[in-house]
Amino acid sequence: MDNIQYLNENLWPGRIGHAGILLAFVAALLGAFSYYFAVQRASQEEEARHWLRMGRGAFLAHALGVLAVIGAIFYAMIAQRYEYQYVWAHVSDDLPLRYIFSAFWEGQEGSFLLWMFWHVVLGGLLMASAKKWEAPVLAVLLAVEFCIASMTLGVYVGNLRIGSNPTLLLRDVMDAPIFANADYLQLIKGNGLNPLLQNYWMTIHPPTLFLGFASTVIPFAFAVAGLWTRDYAGWIRPALPWALFSGMILGTGILMGGAWAYEALSFGGYWAWDPVENMSLVPWLTLVAGIHTHLVAKNTGHSLRSTFIFYMLTFVLILYSTFMTRSGVLGDTSAHAFTEMGLGWQLTAFVLMFLVLPAILLAGRYRYIPAPAKEEALASKEFWMFIGSLVLLFSAVLITSSTSLPVINKILQFFNPAYVGRVITEPISHYNKYQLWIGVFIGLFSGGAQWLRWREGNWAANRRKYVLHTGLAVVAAAALSWLTTLWINAYAWQYWLLLFSGWFTLIVNLDYIIGFLRGNLKLGGSTMAHIGFGMMLIGILASGLNKRFISVNTFVMDGLIEGADSERIKNNVLLFKGVTLPMAGYEVTYVSDTIENLTRTYTVNYKRRDATGKVVEDFNLHPNIIYNKDFTKIAASNPDTRQYLHKDIFTHISSLPQVEMDVEFRKQREDSLRYKAVRLPMGQTVTLLDTVPIRNRDTFVVRTYSLTLDEITRNPTHPDYKPQQGDLALGAAIHVKRDDDDSTFTARPVVISRGQLVYYFPEQINELSTRVRLHPDIFDEVFTPEEELTYRDFTFKIGQTISFEGLQVRFDGFNPKAEHPSLQKKEGDLVVSARMHITSPNGQSYQAEPVFFIRDNTPYNLKTEVEDLGLHLRFVSIDPETETAQLRLARKERRVTGAPVEVATQSLRSDYIVLEAIEFPGINLFWLGSTLMMLGLGLSMAHRIGQVSKHQEA
Amino acid sequence: MKRIYIIAVVMVAVAIAILVNAAKDTSTYATFSDAARSGDKVKIAGQLAKDKEMYYDPEKNPNYFTFYLTDTKGEQRKVVLLREKPQDFEMSEQIVLTGRMKGEEFIATEMLMKCPSKYKNEEIYIKSEKGDI
Repeated sequence: MDNIQYLNENLWPGRIGHAGILLAFVAALLGAFSYYFAVQRASQEEEARHWLRMGRGAFLAHALGVLAVIGAIFYAMIAQRYEYQYVWAHVSDDLPLRYIFSAFWEGQEGSFLLWMFWHVVLGGLLMASAKKWEAPVLAVLLAVEFCIASMTLGVYVGNLRIGSNPTLLLRDVMDAPIFANADYLQLIKGNGLNPLLQNYWMTIHPPTLFLGFASTVIPFAFAVAGLWTRDYAGWIRPALPWALFSGMILGTGILMGGAWAYEALSFGGYWAWDPVENMSLVPWLTLVAGIHTHLVAKNTGHSLRSTFIFYMLTFVLILYSTFMTRSGVLGDTSAHAFTEMGLGWQLTAFVLMFLVLPAILLAGRYRYIPAPAKEEALASKEFWMFIGSLVLLFSAVLITSSTSLPVINKILQFFNPAYVGRVITEPISHYNKYQLWIGVFIGLFSGGAQWLRWREGNWAANRRKYVLHTGLAVVAAAALSWLTTLWINAYAWQYWLLLFSGWFTLIVNLDYIIGFLRGNLKLGGSTMAHIGFGMMLIGILASGLNKRFISVNTFVMDGLIEGADSERIKNNVLLFKGVTLPMAGYEVTYVSDTIENLTRTYTVNYKRRDATGKVVEDFNLHPNIIYNKDFTKIAASNPDTRQYLHKDIFTHISSLPQVEMDVEFRKQREDSLRYKAVRLPMGQTVTLLDTVPIRNRDTFVVRTYSLTLDEITRNPTHPDYKPQQGDLALGAAIHVKRDDDDSTFTARPVVISRGQLVYYFPEQINELSTRVRLHPDIFDEVFTPEEELTYRDFTFKIGQTISFEGLQVRFDGFNPKAEHPSLQKKEGDLVVSARMHITSPNGQSYQAEPVFFIRDNTPYNLKTEVEDLGLHLRFVSIDPETETAQLRLARKERRVTGAPVEVATQSLRSDYIVLEAIEFPGINLFWLGSTLMMLGLGLSMAHRIGQVSKHQEA
Repeated sequence: MKRIYIIAVVMVAVAIAILVNAAKDTSTYATFSDAARSGDKVKIAGQLAKDKEMYYDPEKNPNYFTFYLTDTKGEQRKVVLLREKPQDFEMSEQIVLTGRMKGEEFIATEMLMKCPSKYKNEEIYIKSEKGDI
């Protein structure tokens, strides 16, 4: 196979990309070393400057390498160069260009490249702005880049694989017979992007999240730099805007993930305590804890040590999160981890390296980190902020411990192979149960600390003011919590406490921003973030605790299963097309559906009336489903949501008639239909009653079907019928009308007799979910059986007319090029037909050509019928000498009076959907609150950037 | 001793207490016989018995789906899932159920499936319209 000259391959993107990877890898190492020596040799100014210049050059080379490989892969993806494995795996011809980004970071390699890309951007900014911190910070950053770049190397050392190279050719990765063909590219097409990821959130969520991931390296690098250069407090000021930036972006990335889950996935919610979600939340929690101690350190000098710890922990947790989602360790506990690639050992090494090395550094220098001798005052801001940070850490520890259960199982199994791994039985309630208290404490502390002062030395002077503001907030929060419970349920005192704590921090901070900051938003970043946090807590209680399935169906399960868990069983309802179902105050109707490409979009109408019956609310929702490429299975079901200020109504298709979901099943199902037989006399209308039980109500709908036979055709067509020689085919046109529908539909079923078998070609009227087919007895109605015919023999001379049963039958001569629908000519056949001309008593004339043929010395004849006259003609022998033809004639007049028809109503209904609808009250409080948190972080960042530059000028 | 250390020690103690307490939120993957013996809510991992009957008729009840599962010990039981039948159920490689035994049936309220990533299967799609060459 090695000698094959493959056609039409473009190898350049691969070469450029691979060169880019190698360059990025080597330059990162070189840069890290250069910057390292720039720090170590700082005392020798001249040498240090050389090292610094070399570090910068290496960084730029690294950046070039990263951009080259990203550019090469993008080019190959846009050009659909399927010779590349990565392109083949993530792109397909029908993938819209707008999803090319999603396709790029669908795979592990692409997301590593995205991560590196952001490090390059952030590193560039640091290079331009970090001044004396440039060398140590970039040394750390490039060391991290070196590790990530190794993930895309794809080289083997012995049996050990290092990284996975995204620029490999498909034929190098896979061994398939198709590659024996030099022109194999003509034959392959791409795999394409998972339909669930074909969503605009997937274009912006991953880059935002990865920018968040990437940005956590900066506080980490500053912290390491501080320890390394023994300038333990100097990094505090320049690192603060970066930490705030990181908190904002990482938080936004996580929220976008929630928004994607809410909009595109069908589990109904924005947070499910999935391991992947947890492991992105945990570093954010420690980062936010770090930001708080960072502020304490900046203002008071306290908590500096913990700031080091928090930022180091944050970055290790980011790496640990990467390990969890990419090593395959989560296995079946997570719905959306990456597919495993055998890079687990490398990721483990990565995590351990950045855990152990900084820990050693920290341990060695810990006692040199300055800390004020005097303890924080109990009534000081710094004390409670520190306690709040501890609470966040506490939350992080709990979540990490529970989420790490699969890792703990693996470790225990390593030492004891007989150990049986444990899993959390009910993850959601497990996490909620404990994290509830984190919310309560954070709410109380963030509110309670707001009116405290830094370095409180004179509590007596502040006490009056503090008690007044905080006390009033307690009263107001209690009152507002009570008012809130009129709208949503708090269910238990713990939830009531959470509600109170949310209101409390909201009010205190609102009061603070108005009363103390006088509305000066520039300084109000933290206040705004805390208002957002309080609002978010209320939003979670409203939308999460009070989320309500409105697709409720209480009667369905009664008696079916005793004592079955009540919640789960009644979340779905069945909606027949056009049949309105009352549901939680709404009248819900499945109106229609349309198919475009692979997407089938449903229109579901919701109506609400007031007491007088007037429609006060009327809207349509459009959930859809996406079929797979072969149109045989459903690949994704996308919800649709009606959004109000105070609530959302979330709707998705949880199931469809199986005939719509599965083509195989449709075929099986057709055989088991229950048809009703009915005889339709020609031209007359026959009515048929059909009883449709309506589920969950003890009522039935009786429907009347009117059927009219319009005509019977002898050579019918049907979309599924491919005529073959020898077929006996009959078709009919039948008008069908249902009393509750104004339109009349025409069904054209066909029935075929082929050999000994009967084939049905029924006609489906989807609008009426009715199937009509012809009963094979129609053959007896239309065709006269041979045994009922009495033939008489006649000998014709050419031109001779013989009178038969009132008909004038004339023989016009032989036709040696005879054709007959039932005749399949073979070589050696001798075929001839007799051209017959028939005149009926009322003067009408007809043509007929019965066929006679000799095959293998045996004579055969094929019958011809003049249907209008009921005349049957057989050409049985020929006498060449006298040029006479011997024919057998029979006549039996037959009037087709009707047709036996079979009708199957509703047994194969394809006109319903199984719908799940959920009401999320107050979900906008969650979105608004969480957005305010991020805005607050952003505002603080802007404010601190200003401070940094002012400081540098000074 | 500093106040902060006292608080930190208390928090560590509480954390340990919680984690020990949380151990009862966990369970091992049970087998059908375990589930029948304890009667508790358990998680069962196993594989779909593809030769046995599956039943789902949303017209009768959209929240009722039954199938047979072979657990890790090889025991087969009928499972009643009180949800809609998930898409691509037949393709599942492994199934994890949460629920409890009720008589001879396992009543499941939650199900997690592991499917072979259907878009990543290691086979080359041949362009059908090109035919064979």
